[in-house]
Amino acid sequence: MLLSFLIWLENLTPFSSLRSSAYVYPIVLALHLSAISLFGAMIVATDLRMLGWALFDSSIADVITQLRWPKRIGFILAGTCGFLLFASKAEEYYYNAFFRTKMLLFVLVAIHALVFRRSVYADPIKVARLPLVPRRARLAAALSLLLWLGILCVGRGIGYVAGRPGMHFR
Amino acid sequence: MWIENPLSTSPTGFAVLECFHIAGFALAIGMTALLDFRLLGIGLQNQSPAQIARAFEWWTLGGLVVAVFSGLLIFSTDPDMYYLNWGFLIKMVCLVLAILFNYTIHKRAVFRPWAPGAARLVACISLILWVSVIFGGIFIAVIRTGLT
Repeated sequence: MLLSFLIWLENLTPFSSLRSSAYVYPIVLALHLSAISLFGAMIVATDLRMLGWALFDSSIADVITQLRWPKRIGFILAGTCGFLLFASKAEEYYYNAFFRTKMLLFVLVAIHALVFRRSVYADPIKVARLPLVPRRARLAAALSLLLWLGILCVGRGIGYVAGRPGMHFR
Repeated sequence: MWIENPLSTSPTGFAVLECFHIAGFALAIGMTALLDFRLLGIGLQNQSPAQIARAFEWWTLGGLVVAVFSGLLIFSTDPDMYYLNWGFLIKMVCLVLAILFNYTIHKRAVFRPWAPGAARLVACISLILWVSVIFGGIFIAVIRTGLT
């Protein structure tokens, strides 16, 4: 069911032409990496502030709220490029262990957001008013760094798995 | 005596190296982009560009050092291919220009308040140079032709 959907998806004209284009595919890949750099740096900046390792003279609330929308836009950019790369080789990616791990890590990112949203991210002003950075915020920051670093590494791994023969590329 | 480069025979070693390379450049280029967007009036508006630069300059340099050294090791696996490759050559030119620009004109624009127009121009040049480095890197595997 899922697999037949993916085969249908990858054979849609925009995705099959992206797959066979010599230059557009690497351009999308380079844009994906550029967006990752931007998005990643904003994640790292927020997490470093929450861990108390950088930007000491600004409050946590200030950093979180100012970077909230830029981070969302960065994620949408990286995600759009990532989706294009995926959709053009959807069947191959379905079998790819690194791709599956990457999707699992995204689920963990979502769980991370659900767990820490109320206590850390939703009301950063309250968090910032506390005399020391609360342990919970530090934990959220450390886990966020680990998760995103993991996503970056398994993301690189995707390219190392050769596509199997008998793909339904048209 | 001929010694085999252990990285050339270990796909895992090479892949791990690439992860370090990506993490390093993402940190360095992303942090620089954060500063560039601040100069363009986007992002951390409550902080001055100098404040952002001071907060992250060691993280940026750290990322750059990791990226350059992992890059040198990646280069060592197949130097003949790399130094003749157009993608690589363009990447190196952009990288040298980007680093020089970053620690000279860019630094001055960040630490001394320049006219907004000039600061914006500096930010755009910086962004274009660093993104060109990423594009050059990706295109090493695409453009197989080079100097002979």
